[in-house]
Amino acid sequence: MPRWSAGKRWGLVAGSLLLLVAAGVAIYAGLYNVGADVPHTQPIYWLLDTVRERSVAARAQNIAVPKDLDDAKRISIGAGEYSEMCSGCHLAPGMKRTEISRGLYPRAPELRRNTDLTPAEQFWIVKHGLKMTGMAAWGVTHDDDLLWDVVAFVRKLPELTPEQYQTMVKDAPKHEEIMRQMETGGDHEHGGEHD
Amino acid sequence: MRNLRLRSTSLRLLLLAGFVGLPLTLALGHEGHHVECNETAINALKADIQATGEGEARTTATKEMEATQQMMAKNDIDGCKGHIHSAVQATEK
Repeated sequence: MPRWSAGKRWGLVAGSLLLLVAAGVAIYAGLYNVGADVPHTQPIYWLLDTVRERSVAARAQNIAVPKDLDDAKRISIGAGEYSEMCSGCHLAPGMKRTEISRGLYPRAPELRRNTDLTPAEQFWIVKHGLKMTGMAAWGVTHDDDLLWDVVAFVRKLPELTPEQYQTMVKDAPKHEEIMRQMETGGDHEHGGEHD
Repeated sequence: MRNLRLRSTSLRLLLLAGFVGLPLTLALGHEGHHVECNETAINALKADIQATGEGEARTTATKEMEATQQMMAKNDIDGCKGHIHSAVQATEK
């Protein structure tokens, strides 16, 4: 560790204090535009994106993924739930961008495209939501099994044509029925492992 | 006779108003299908590009956005709209 003179040390302290005061003044004066119609600068966007990615990865690493994500029943239930709860923002094969998807910032990812996220990371995001993105914490109102159904369907989504998507949604159990089953502890258990 | 002339003048006026109004109506209707060229549209495009993964689509959209901004600086509205449209198409691929 280099030995700094007293003058240099005082300079460092004064410089740090000055930066803190400047940051405080900038925040208090409302200099940063939080409007969703003006994007972050690239460095701020990168910082927030990296914080989000690392936070999700760290929290999802110990989640045990159910072995039956390919189960047809899971995927079918997930299709109905996805259409009801997610497609407005995350869209679907053959679907045009919606008013909400065009206005959200950051943009909700279009899940018909392939993703780098693991199933555990997707489950964590669906369950806990993401601060300051518009992504809701669906774990507040849905049990883990139902959320895994959604993940199972989302994994399948990039393979689907618009026609296949429509057919799956049409044939899926109705959202109200699934919610009623969940609330009454009905026939909706897959034995998946939870976080 | 006078009545007939009046009616004929009114008819001509109506037809004239229709001809004058038609291009304006068509232009407004056409506008609805296109992206506007203004600060809000460019900001929305920047947000779309940020959300687009690395790759050809992002590179194309970024180039088109730069061209959009150049056109906007030159006040070339048609050029601006053309590039912004191409950029949006690239992000939606």
